Amino acid sequence: MAKLHVETTINGESTEILVDPQQSLLETLRDGLMLTGAKEGCNDGNCGACTVIMDGRTVNSCLVLGAEAQDADITTIEGLATPRGLHPLQQAFLENAALQCGICTPGFLISSKSLLDSNPNPSEEEVRFWLAGNLCRCTGYDKIVRAVLDAAKEMKAGN
Amino acid sequence: MISYNVIGQPIVRSDGFEKVTGRAQYTGDLKLPGMLWGKVLRSPFAHARIIRVDTSRAVGLPGVHAVLTGDDTRGVRYGRRLFDVPPLAEERVLFAGERVAAVAAESMEIAQNAIDLIEVEYDPLPAIADPLESMKGDAFLLHPDVNDYVGLPKKLEKVSNVFVTNTWGKGELDTGFAQADHILERTYTTPLVHQAYLEPHSCVVFIDEDQRIQIWAANKAPFALRQQLAAAIGVDEDRIRLNPTYIGGDFGGKGSPMDVPLVYFLALHSKRPVRMVMDYVEEFTAANPRHPSVTTVRSGVLNDGTLTAWEARIIFNSGAYGGFKPGVNLGGARDVAGPYKIPHTFVEAIQVYTNSVPGGHMRGPGEPQGIFAGESHLDEIARILGIDPLEFRLKNLVGEGDVTATGSLYRDVKAKETLEAASMAARYGSPLAMNVGRGMAMGARAPGGGETHVGVIFQKDGTVVARTPILDQGTGTYTTVNQVVAEELGLSSDKVQIIPWNTDAVSFDTGIGGSRGTRVASQAAYAAAQNAKQELLRAASEIRGWDPSNLVLKDNKVYKGNTEDYIDFDFVVQNCGFDIQGTSGIEDREQLTVTAFCAQIAEVAVDVETGQIKLLRFTSAHDVGQVLNPIGHQGQINGGVVQGIGYALMEELEVEDGRVSNVTFGDYKIPTMADIPELRTVLVQSKNGVGPYNIKGIGENTNTAVAAAIANAVEDAIGVRVYSLPITAEKVLAALRESNV
Ligand code: FES
Ligand code: FES
Repeated sequence: MAKLHVETTINGESTEILVDPQQSLLETLRDGLMLTGAKEGCNDGNCGACTVIMDGRTVNSCLVLGAEAQDADITTIEGLATPRGLHPLQQAFLENAALQCGICTPGFLISSKSLLDSNPNPSEEEVRFWLAGNLCRCTGYDKIVRAVLDAAKEMKAGN
Repeated sequence: MISYNVIGQPIVRSDGFEKVTGRAQYTGDLKLPGMLWGKVLRSPFAHARIIRVDTSRAVGLPGVHAVLTGDDTRGVRYGRRLFDVPPLAEERVLFAGERVAAVAAESMEIAQNAIDLIEVEYDPLPAIADPLESMKGDAFLLHPDVNDYVGLPKKLEKVSNVFVTNTWGKGELDTGFAQADHILERTYTTPLVHQAYLEPHSCVVFIDEDQRIQIWAANKAPFALRQQLAAAIGVDEDRIRLNPTYIGGDFGGKGSPMDVPLVYFLALHSKRPVRMVMDYVEEFTAANPRHPSVTTVRSGVLNDGTLTAWEARIIFNSGAYGGFKPGVNLGGARDVAGPYKIPHTFVEAIQVYTNSVPGGHMRGPGEPQGIFAGESHLDEIARILGIDPLEFRLKNLVGEGDVTATGSLYRDVKAKETLEAASMAARYGSPLAMNVGRGMAMGARAPGGGETHVGVIFQKDGTVVARTPILDQGTGTYTTVNQVVAEELGLSSDKVQIIPWNTDAVSFDTGIGGSRGTRVASQAAYAAAQNAKQELLRAASEIRGWDPSNLVLKDNKVYKGNTEDYIDFDFVVQNCGFDIQGTSGIEDREQLTVTAFCAQIAEVAVDVETGQIKLLRFTSAHDVGQVLNPIGHQGQINGGVVQGIGYALMEELEVEDGRVSNVTFGDYKIPTMADIPELRTVLVQSKNGVGPYNIKGIGENTNTAVAAAIANAVEDAIGVRVYSLPITAEKVLAALRESNV
């Protein structure tokens, strides 16, 4: 099958890739670009392990075609830390033990980043609501909520 | 209490950095040169004869390197103990989802296309999904040859679908019932549920140029897997190497060989590395979920609330195979009788083959099923007698010197203290609104034993590497090893790096399970650190010519006795001329005389119009030893409780015509962040535990009593009881309706 040539920006770097027309963005990232931070859990849009930010919105990358990445601006977990260090969310997840097996963690971090990008001062209720699309079977969620609230505070103080 | 520097501190997970940056490598992230994709064709029928499998079109598809059917793996059987699972079905398929054929191809798409080109002709046969039907004498046999299977604990006198029975008990049941003022008999059922780890089963198998079988697998017991695979395919264990990888959640479900034997055959036939990742539909239909159960409890009690007799029979639906349980049966079943001092008891647990997905382990195997029945039953007796359930339990719980219903004697028994702590924290007894209720349940579990090894190697830069054969599946074993080594060597946690071993490195490791991780890993890490420390002191004494018996390691320095004379430890490492290291091997399989109690109290509000249950608060009290890492410990509690909430209220794999019908997380709902009530935790400190730090286990206890506590709270709220999990709005309404007739 003819592959499609796609130009896209991933974590701030412009990238060109060949994708199969029916290949998902998740497969494209993981197999084509070796960015394996986004995880495949359910592959049907229900778990959030594959979450990435695409043009400012979170998407389940298992439900997006690789071809749709054309001209898009994509952030994955690999782009969250900067050369100056971890993102405050990553730091807060570490300090709150908001992760156990870690398979859901990239998705939670990306969804949380998108929450704080649009709402730097979320209430606990808003955090719970926003992150209800990400499943975690290990932590019981409580510490993830704490971590996101801590990171929000930290970022406000840092600004 | 002894004071520690690293032990007991909220240390950041050793694997945390890799996990928050997306760098942690799980099996599905691995890519080897030339790697192929494996894919399986599964049976749509719960029971059928295979008449013909035509693979010719799949074989001819470009990019396909191997196509296998039952003929290619004929005679091979595998399992964790009982070897009854074929890699591919031969004459018959025994459940919907059973593997019938497999391919290895250059891409996922080609593999899927090849699967679609395989034609199978089936002759559908009648199927039995209900274990009660399957137990009957005239039922057809799923496994007529069961007596020939490797690993069957006891040959059956008469072959039937009931393939294993375990019993526990003491005293004389007849006597106990004869004494009783009241006798109550009830039956409880629990559903088929999935562990719902978010990383599906995955593995990569590759036969290298030295003919070694190299494996990466989402499996938390690699040494056991090596044994199981070697026995199944008839090769020496030495030929097999399991390589370390992160595991994306387990909860008991990641201990089975699952697709590894099949992928070995794909790798053998294609002569290429092969990766197989189950998709989640396959997970829901064909992995190794928690066993459904039907439990009948009959109890005898005096008017004053003293229990005299307890008889329970638990029927576990094993599904089509029994190979995914390391004990063949589920020992947790005995907990149906709980930590109560009942004199006359008999508990029986049986496993029955049926035409449904084979069951496996999940967090306290057998316990949530047994405890749901037992603790629901206790509440009902208390209510019949007009005694408060708390008081009733306190009256019958074991204290120091008491033997439990199934014969265990523990010391430093904190059963009542734990229950009282829970009741205080939950404000048990304080007034409640209309249709709001509280319910409690108890569990107890001693950490399992096992074998493991640890290696500690000093590095020239002043850091330390600790090696472990245990793979961290999320519960935090790497962090445990890190903290113990750091503590014993007087280092900060960030100076200790964990690097897991492959299976070539040491002789054996039992693997994670049975809440043994902290028990065995902390002892092995302690011993290895002590050995490494002695080596360091010896090296220091050689460099300085000091008396080795009088040296002290403190603040990264080796001091000569109590003097101010010291030598920096990195100087020793750099200049001694050999590697300074210590190793340990621990074998601790002793049945423990200390256990850990757990008491949980749920508070629910029930809408009597709709049957909706809202969980308002959940309190979990735990009898603990030294907590090694409070945030990791709390994570086990929260995670276990939330998993229990799912079991209580929402989770069930629905089976229609032998097929699981809710096959996505859209239909199989597990708790999300929005479903979680206020969680309260109380820790009851106990002086006695295991090993150098007096620890207890926490991984399973958190999960096993939750559903019973919620069921009891529902009855407290609205006066009706639901005897089957999950407690859905429909069941509540039906129970209400029945109580009004
Ligand atoms: S893998 Fe995309 S939502 Fe689950
Ligand atoms: S940490 Fe394991 S699923 Fe969230």
